[in-house]
Amino acid sequence: MKKEIWFGVIMLAAVVVGVLAFMPPPSEMSNGHLGLLMLALVVVAIMLGFPTAFTLMGMGVLFAWLAFHSRDPAVAWQQTLDLMVQRAYSVMANDVLISIPLFIFMGYLVERANLIERLFKSLHIAMARVPAALAVATIVTCAVFATATGIVGAVVTLMGLLALPSMLKAGYSTQLAAGAITAGGCLGILIPPSVLLIVYGATAGVSVVKLYAGAFFPGIMLAALYVGYVIVLAKIKPALAPPLPEAERHLALPALSEQLAAGGARRSALAGLAGALRSTGVPRGPVLGQMGVVLLPALAFVLIMGASYRLVTSPVVVDSAAAGLEFSSADEAPADASGASPAAAGGDAGLAEPPASDALSEPPPADGLAEATATATATTTAKTVTATTAAAAEPALTPAEKMAADGERRPAPKAFWITLGIGAAVLLAFYARFNFHRVEIFKMMLGSLFPLAILILAVLGSIVFGLATPTEAAALGAFGGILLAAAYRRFNLPMLKESSFLAVKTSAMVCWLFVGSSIFSAAFALLGGQELINAWVLSMDLTPLQFMILAQFIIFLLGWPLEWTEIIVIFMPIFIPLLPHFNVDPLFFGLLVALNLQTAFLSPPVAMAAFYLKGVAPPHVTLNQIFLGMLPFMGIQVLALVLLYVFPDIGLWLPRVLYQ
Amino acid sequence: MQRLLRFVDGVSTWVGQLFAWLIVALTLLVSWEVFSRYALNHPNPWSFDLMIMMYGTAFMMGGAYTLAKNGHVRGDVLYRFFPPRLQAGIDLVLYIAFFLPGVIALVWAGYFYAAESVAINEHSTLTANGPPLYPFKIVIPCAGVLLLLQGLVEIVRCIICLRMGDWPSREEDVEEVDVDKLKAMVRQEPQ
Repeated sequence: MKKEIWFGVIMLAAVVVGVLAFMPPPSEMSNGHLGLLMLALVVVAIMLGFPTAFTLMGMGVLFAWLAFHSRDPAVAWQQTLDLMVQRAYSVMANDVLISIPLFIFMGYLVERANLIERLFKSLHIAMARVPAALAVATIVTCAVFATATGIVGAVVTLMGLLALPSMLKAGYSTQLAAGAITAGGCLGILIPPSVLLIVYGATAGVSVVKLYAGAFFPGIMLAALYVGYVIVLAKIKPALAPPLPEAERHLALPALSEQLAAGGARRSALAGLAGALRSTGVPRGPVLGQMGVVLLPALAFVLIMGASYRLVTSPVVVDSAAAGLEFSSADEAPADASGASPAAAGGDAGLAEPPASDALSEPPPADGLAEATATATATTTAKTVTATTAAAAEPALTPAEKMAADGERRPAPKAFWITLGIGAAVLLAFYARFNFHRVEIFKMMLGSLFPLAILILAVLGSIVFGLATPTEAAALGAFGGILLAAAYRRFNLPMLKESSFLAVKTSAMVCWLFVGSSIFSAAFALLGGQELINAWVLSMDLTPLQFMILAQFIIFLLGWPLEWTEIIVIFMPIFIPLLPHFNVDPLFFGLLVALNLQTAFLSPPVAMAAFYLKGVAPPHVTLNQIFLGMLPFMGIQVLALVLLYVFPDIGLWLPRVLYQ
Repeated sequence: MQRLLRFVDGVSTWVGQLFAWLIVALTLLVSWEVFSRYALNHPNPWSFDLMIMMYGTAFMMGGAYTLAKNGHVRGDVLYRFFPPRLQAGIDLVLYIAFFLPGVIALVWAGYFYAAESVAINEHSTLTANGPPLYPFKIVIPCAGVLLLLQGLVEIVRCIICLRMGDWPSREEDVEEVDVDKLKAMVRQEPQ
C-alpha cells in the first residue's frame, strides 16, 4: 500500500484513540459522551468509504436504540422503529426538498442542449480585446453554464475539452488555464438556483427564497474577483496569457454584411443598413432581417423604459395580472428565445419578453409603446393573459379599471428621466460603435448566451420576487430546459430518458443521505451530544468573530475529505443551534458556508474538479500543475469569504430590500 | 451466481428507471398547475399532495437503482487508493454492521407504519378531502425491500471480490460525467 494510505489510516486511528482518551472512564460515561463517540465514529466510518447514507442510517439506528434503552428498555425497540420511520417519512414529505429532483433534472436537460460550445466561442470572440480574453471567456462561460446546470463534473470536463486546448494553443500558462476552468466550474454550486442552497435551507430551516436572494451577489462577486484576478495577472505578466493573434479574432462576415461594410468602410451598421434599404440592387429581405437584429437593443431599451414609465406613474400597482404574465413568460421565454427560426427572430422574442411582462400592469389597448414595438409573440401572450385575468378576476382588480376610475397618473420622478437620459446616451454611443463585425458577435450571443441567461433569470426572478415557489420555478425551469433542448434540436427520447435516469439517481443519492442524516441527528440529539457540544463551545467563551472563524475553519477542513452534501447534512445540524448564542443570522451563516464550500472542490489533493480536468487534459498537463493553478483561486475564495464577512450587506442587502 | 446478481441489478434498475419517469411527470404536473392557477385561475387542491407523493416515491424507489450503479456518495479520499480486496473487506463488514440493521429496521418499521395507515384508510389532511395517503406510506417498505435485496447482492459482490481479488463487473448505465459522450458532443457541434 502507498504511504498516503498509511497516513490516512493512522490519522483515523488517531481520531478514535483521541476521542477515547478524552472519554471519562466507562462508569462515569453519560449518554452525551456516547453521542460524541458516535460523531467521531461516524467520521471514521465515512472516511472508510462506505456509502454515507447507510453509514448514517445504521449508526443512527444503533445509537437511537442505545439512547432509548437507557431510558426504558421495554419499549426501546418500538421507539427506535417509530423514530426511524417517522424520520424517513418526514424526508419523503418534505416540501423544500421537492425542488431538488426538479433542479437536477433541469440541469441535465440544459447540459444536453449542448450550448456550451457556442457560448464559449461567442464570448471569446466578444472579449477578444480584453487581456487574457480566453481565460475571462472561460470563467464567464463556466459561471453561466454551471449556474444553469449545477453539475460541476460535467462543466469542468466540457471546458477541459473545449477551453483548455484553445488556451494552451494560444500560449497560456497551463496553471492559469487549469485554475480558470476548475474555479469557474465550481461557481454553479454557489450561484442560485443551486441545489446546495436548497439542501442548506432544508437542514437549517432557512427560507430557500431568502438564501437565493442572498447568494446572488456573493456569487457574482466571486466570479468578478476571478475575472479581475485573471485580467490583472495578464496585465502584469503578459507572458502568462498572451493576447490572441489577429487571425483568431477574425470573424467572417456573411456576404451581405461584407458588401455593405465594404461600401461604407467603418460606418455603423445601423447607418449602413438604412442606406442599403434606400438603395437598389440589394436584396430587401435579408437587409430587413439584419435591421431587426440591429434594432433589438434599442427595442429592449424602449420596452423597459416604457414599462417602467407606466410602472412608476401608474396610480395603483396590482400584482395579480403581472404575476400571471410572469408565469407564462417564464415558461415561454426560452421557447421563443430560440424557436426553430434562426437566431434573429428567436432572440427577438427572448429579448422582448421579460420587459413586456413588466409592461403587463397596463392594459394593452392603452399601451401604445408596447403595442407598437413588442413582437407578435410577446403581445399575444400579454393580451391573452391580461384578457383571461381580467375576465376571471374581479373587475376592480385590473389596473385598467383602476386607472379609468381615478383617471390621472402620477408625474414620473426625476430619477426616471435621468435614467432615461443616461440610457439614451449610452444607446447612441453603442449604435455609433455598432459596426457589422459587432453585429455578428451580437447574433452569436443571441443564439447562446441570451437563452441561457433568460432561463436562469426567469427561474431566479420568479423565486426571488415571490411570484413562484422554488418548486414551481424549478419545474418551469425544467420545462424550459426541455424547450431549450428542443430549440437546439437536441431533444429526443434517449436524451429525455438519460436526463431523467440521472436525475433520479442523483436525487436518490441526496435524499437518501437526508434520510440517513435525519435518523442520525435524531439519535445524536437523543443522546444529548448536542447539549454537550453547546456547553463546551459556550464554556470557551468565544467572541462572535472567533466563533465564526472557528466554524468556517472547521468547515474548510471538513471540505478537504468530505463532499458538500455530507458536510451540510451531517454537520450543519450541529452548528445551527449554536448560532443564536452568538447572534449570527442563519441566513448569513448559510451564505458563508456556501462560499466556503467552494474551496472543498479545489483543495488538493482530493479536489474533484482537478481529477475531472486531468481526465480530459492532454498528457503533458500534470495533476500538480492543475493543483498549483487552483491555489490562487482558492486564495480568492478565502478573500471573498473575508469580504462577505466584513461587508455582510453584499449578501444581506437584497433579501432585506425584498422581504422587509 | 453472476446471473443472479445481474438479475437483481436488472430489477432494481428497471424499477428505478420506471420511477424516474415520475420526475418528468412531476415537471409537467407542476408546470401545468402553475399555468392552471395563474392563467386559467383554476388551482387544484390535490396538486400539492400529489407533488409531494411523486417526489417522495421517485427518490425512495430510486435508492436501490442508485446502489446498483454504485451511485451513493461515499467519502472516497482513502477508499479510492485501497486495493480491491481491502475495499471489499471494509464494505463487507460495514454492510453487515450498518446497512443490514438500518435497512431491515426501515422495512420492519415501514411495514407496520403502512399497515396502520391502510387500516385506518388514511387520507391527507393538508386539504379537505385530501387524497389517500396509504399508497405513499406503502412505498417505504417496498423501497426498503428492494434496497435490502440490492444490498444482499452487493454483499455477495464483496465476497466474490475477496475471493477473486477484483470487483465483479456491473451493467453499464448512463453516467453523469461520461467523457466519451461529452467528447462526441463537443466534436459534432458545427462551426
